Amino acid sequence: MTETAVTPAQPVTVDEQELAPGFIGQNVARKEDRRLVEGQGVFVDDVKRHGMAYVHFVRSPYAHAAIAGIDVSRALELDGVYGTLIGEEVAAETEPFFQIAPPPAGDLKDYALAVGRVRHVGEPVVAVAAATRELARDAAELVEVDYEPLEVVLDPETAADSGRPQLHDEVPNNTIWQGNFDYGDYDAALAEADKVVRIKRLHFHRFSSTPLETSGAVVEYNRGTGQWTIHSNNQFPGFAIIMMAPALKVGMDKLRLVSQDIGGGFGNKICTHVQLVAMCLLARKLNRAVNWTEWRTDQHTANSHGNERVFLDVEVPVKADGTLLGFKSRMIDDCGAYTRYEPLGCIIWAQVTPGCYRWRHVRVDFTQVCTNKSPCGPNRGYSRMQHLWFTERIIDIVAQELELDPVEIRKRNYIRADEMPYETPNGCVYDSGDYARCLDEALKLIDHDSIEARRRDAESRGKLLGVGIGSTLDSGTNNFGQSTLVNPELQFSGNNEVATVKLDIFGEIVVTLGTTPQGQSHETTAAQVVADILQVSPDDVNVRAGHDSYWNSHAGFSGTYASQFAVTGLGAVKGATDMLADQIRKIGAAILGAESTDEVELAGGFVRRKDNHEAALPFMACGAIVNANNAVLPLELRDVTLNCRYVYVPPHQMPDKERKYGNLTLTYATQIHACVVEVDPETGVYEIVDYGAVDDCGIRINPQIVEGQVQGATAQAIGAATHETFLYDEDGNLLTPNFYDYHVPHALDMPALKTAYVESASPFTPLGAKGMGEGGGAGLSAVASALQDALRASGRPIVSDSSNPYNRVWELLRDPEQSRRLVDVEDR
Amino acid sequence: MTEPVRGTRISVDVNGEIHERDVEARRLLVHFLRDDLDLTGTHVGCDTGNCGACTVIVDGVAVKSCMMLAVQADGASVETVEGLAGNGELHPLQQAFSSFHALQCGYCTPGMLMSAKHLLDNNPEPTEGEIRRAIQGNICRCTGYVNIVEAIAATARGEVSG
Amino acid sequence: MLLAPVEYARPSSVAEAVRLLGAHDGARALAGGQTLTNVMKARAAAPDVLVDLNGLAELRAISRTSDGGLELGAMATLTEVTRSSEVAETRPIIAQVASQIADLQVRNRGTVGGNICSNDPTNHLPPLMSALGATMTILGADGERAVPAVDFFLGVYTTAVAPGELLTKITLPATHDRRDGFASVTIGKDGTCIVNAAASVHDGQAAIALGCVAAVPVLLASASDEDAVRSAVRGAKLDPPSDVHASAEYRLHLAEVVAVRAVAEAST
Repeated sequence: MTETAVTPAQPVTVDEQELAPGFIGQNVARKEDRRLVEGQGVFVDDVKRHGMAYVHFVRSPYAHAAIAGIDVSRALELDGVYGTLIGEEVAAETEPFFQIAPPPAGDLKDYALAVGRVRHVGEPVVAVAAATRELARDAAELVEVDYEPLEVVLDPETAADSGRPQLHDEVPNNTIWQGNFDYGDYDAALAEADKVVRIKRLHFHRFSSTPLETSGAVVEYNRGTGQWTIHSNNQFPGFAIIMMAPALKVGMDKLRLVSQDIGGGFGNKICTHVQLVAMCLLARKLNRAVNWTEWRTDQHTANSHGNERVFLDVEVPVKADGTLLGFKSRMIDDCGAYTRYEPLGCIIWAQVTPGCYRWRHVRVDFTQVCTNKSPCGPNRGYSRMQHLWFTERIIDIVAQELELDPVEIRKRNYIRADEMPYETPNGCVYDSGDYARCLDEALKLIDHDSIEARRRDAESRGKLLGVGIGSTLDSGTNNFGQSTLVNPELQFSGNNEVATVKLDIFGEIVVTLGTTPQGQSHETTAAQVVADILQVSPDDVNVRAGHDSYWNSHAGFSGTYASQFAVTGLGAVKGATDMLADQIRKIGAAILGAESTDEVELAGGFVRRKDNHEAALPFMACGAIVNANNAVLPLELRDVTLNCRYVYVPPHQMPDKERKYGNLTLTYATQIHACVVEVDPETGVYEIVDYGAVDDCGIRINPQIVEGQVQGATAQAIGAATHETFLYDEDGNLLTPNFYDYHVPHALDMPALKTAYVESASPFTPLGAKGMGEGGGAGLSAVASALQDALRASGRPIVSDSSNPYNRVWELLRDPEQSRRLVDVEDR
Repeated sequence: MTEPVRGTRISVDVNGEIHERDVEARRLLVHFLRDDLDLTGTHVGCDTGNCGACTVIVDGVAVKSCMMLAVQADGASVETVEGLAGNGELHPLQQAFSSFHALQCGYCTPGMLMSAKHLLDNNPEPTEGEIRRAIQGNICRCTGYVNIVEAIAATARGEVSG
Repeated sequence: MLLAPVEYARPSSVAEAVRLLGAHDGARALAGGQTLTNVMKARAAAPDVLVDLNGLAELRAISRTSDGGLELGAMATLTEVTRSSEVAETRPIIAQVASQIADLQVRNRGTVGGNICSNDPTNHLPPLMSALGATMTILGADGERAVPAVDFFLGVYTTAVAPGELLTKITLPATHDRRDGFASVTIGKDGTCIVNAAASVHDGQAAIALGCVAAVPVLLASASDEDAVRSAVRGAKLDPPSDVHASAEYRLHLAEVVAVRAVAEAST
């Protein structure tokens, strides 16, 4: 333990009696699968209502333009067109969306449709509703919008310069947020250094996870009650409702958010509250259910991109023995045209300020700007991925320039297992982990001992072979108090999630969740936890599919995002099930004539006397008695409902706003990836020929499901590292607006992934588990690292970009000196 | 239909059942299946013919139903994911996808299953390379394809029963 | 994703197809539809009438010609080409290249004629057919005409097939010990081509066609040794386009590399 290590205020320990033996830790088959493999899932676009209208958005062809006029009359004349909605109506009927940023950026006006001005290509300007999908689009083509083009702002590095056009009247210098982060004593570290490595610029590119199901909604309005039912695939209903209700000027209970199956989210489906409000207005205006299907091109052009970030003037003080002392950088983050979830990204990275390393002196000048591009929002690994890629690039560049071994420099600087729980320079507490051991496992997976022989073999075939490492953390269970570090006036902190577990009349165990799973197998893992506590089989546990905010008065942070279900969701399930188990024991004790609940136990669907297993009451009888035969119960048990609701609240504290200091997340899962590439030096074309991913997310509730998350996150990282990029032309047109130009990995592109596990139980969570699923960032680092290693023999170029399509690799091969000008080593 | 028509009545055998409907000529087969026949298992994931979520088998051949007009299926026999299981028994591929955790969100799964079925119908003992090639036109954003390839291989080896 | 209103006809003979194409302004032949449907979804093209060729079995035949050449019906699907014994025996390169196009479902409906007639600069078959010296047979109201590949490709998305006309077949000459090769750099494995090259080599002489570097395939003749191929590509004064996947400079460099590789494949 270091002297700074702390113990959490309310440690929650694992109850071993409940854990073993049981279904937790087993590869229980997924409850979700049957309906999905039969094509019987219900995704949002599968929902139909009588007389439903289909909505098509008229979208801006300009990145920046004033709207001089809108004429919908020709569209309305078309047979089968039900109506339209334009920005002026939206401005009259709704409030601008709540802003997270402090003023002046917090004063910017964001509505469900463009009002007066468009700020990115693809921005919705008019919504048209008609009897069929095709007709809605036909009518949309008849809408006439008069645009007056304005100068565009696209480059984040100059967006804040004086004289640049301003996107939002309220936001001077297009600067959404600026803050300084100063931890440890950076100046002293610099003075102490034997060498200082400087890197002029590193760039993390725009991309997104592009879930295969695009966004959408079917919205109904009930005129009698004034309530909307919103079938959608929004993945964070807690946040959506907080945004939507004030905008629509109604109470939160007027908005019922429902989803069953969601075709992937990865964060990209968090900020759909904007389109959902437009749908609510249309449903009310037309008195008709409305369907919105976002098409792929819309999703790429105007949904939610991962943040682009530039790291400038990076400075790294290093000791002669390879000990890293800290880093300094000026970071510029580009959030696109609007700030829907932003500027939270300006603080989220700080959850992993030092990455996996022991350096303690950090100075960051962080600025977020807006540009005329698609708005950004959470994307698998949100904001941490950018920062962790940055720390890994530092490690590999320092290693190369100081001729240190990339494995050794990591092991020398990794936070050690015996230092856990480890308090970072900014007050975060890494709960557990063994990074060096994970690295050893990853190197074993790719047979690292044979690398030099394979390098020679590749050379004999005219190829350059390289090996790379990516070390990342997947921080989960946010402390929303970190929002106060970007805006001290905000009243958000902590976190929560809800579950209910009940026993029905016929003994059926029914679970509802507050979450909105998109493939994370919540029905299955929740059933495993319930089964272990109630001593039944997961088959006996009916977990309701999907989310319905009317089921269980969702908690304020309900949803599925930010690597936390195993902690918050299952924590809520465990809490509710513990309550139910206790109630069943009470009923059993009373009926079976036991003195106390200590004398009874649950087994095989019965509550029975410990001293006489024949004296047993089936769950069905308990359910029947409480629900339909309760006069037989003693009076003191009449408050037993067998319908238990529990809200899990993690043990978070308020962070220190002044110092930007405190624990920002509860758990930190580890990913150490190792990647081997072969580069064709003639073309820059490369192939990943070996790949090992080691994950440590504490206790694994269902190892197969965990492995699936690791594989999928890695595939997304490999895609992002190679071909996936959102690039714009000089007018602000997206050049990769669909899967034709935005190449995501297909089955031939993916290497055979090898995986291994380390389980370092979290001391802070109900089940010893950690949130996971966002650990793909390691892949981005590993690919960049492997490319730099492969190209070392060809002039030691510096890989300074997270996006490395063949063209860029060829440029590095052709002119390594150009990239080398980015780095400088000062000998002290 | 030797003279051009804006729309027509078509008759399509879907999973063994004949459906007759009036359709506009411009209606894509995928929207005919989803919106007209309410067979929503076939999905739409892109608008450029790249993702394969809409894959169905038409007259024995795997095709993307977003790149075929409904009128072109007139008289054809179409198999969709809803027809895979029979008599309450899952098709071995469906069982294998579940056993090997070859699906997460499940959105690509129907198209993936139809591509896999088409492969095994025509090549009962595919190599791993042949499996990957057969599903190259089906994008999955959740799994990295690892378990999908394994599930198809295990089905081919007869290790899974429906 | 949603098409503009369109009329549809399904002729029962080639003659009828030609009549329909001639009778309606804005009529377009619908072959496999693996390009055209997508263009229509984007509403980048909105033909008034689609003349569906899929029912015309006579356009699907693959056969050997009496002089040892090969005849591909324009409506033969790419899958049929990859499986054809006639193709395997005479010009196996065609099957090899066809199997790299897009993906299985697309190859199941996509046709040889469609790939050639859409003439997207990133397509595989225009350069291949150019290098192989194919002849295209075009049928119109005034009868049939044969157009050599070198004259067939006119510009991006445009070919010698005029409104009212139809590509019916592609004829390849007998090989006479000629050997073929193909090389490309693609986005991902077997993805869209960034640059491609086809080569046909006979007696130390190579016909090379470069794709993705101009509006139409660039046909070069060269000795088949590496230096000669490189200087032929350099001498061609290419001015390739720049796009999101590759700069003009990169394409220019790759053109030389894939030309050398295609010729090398053809020479072994």
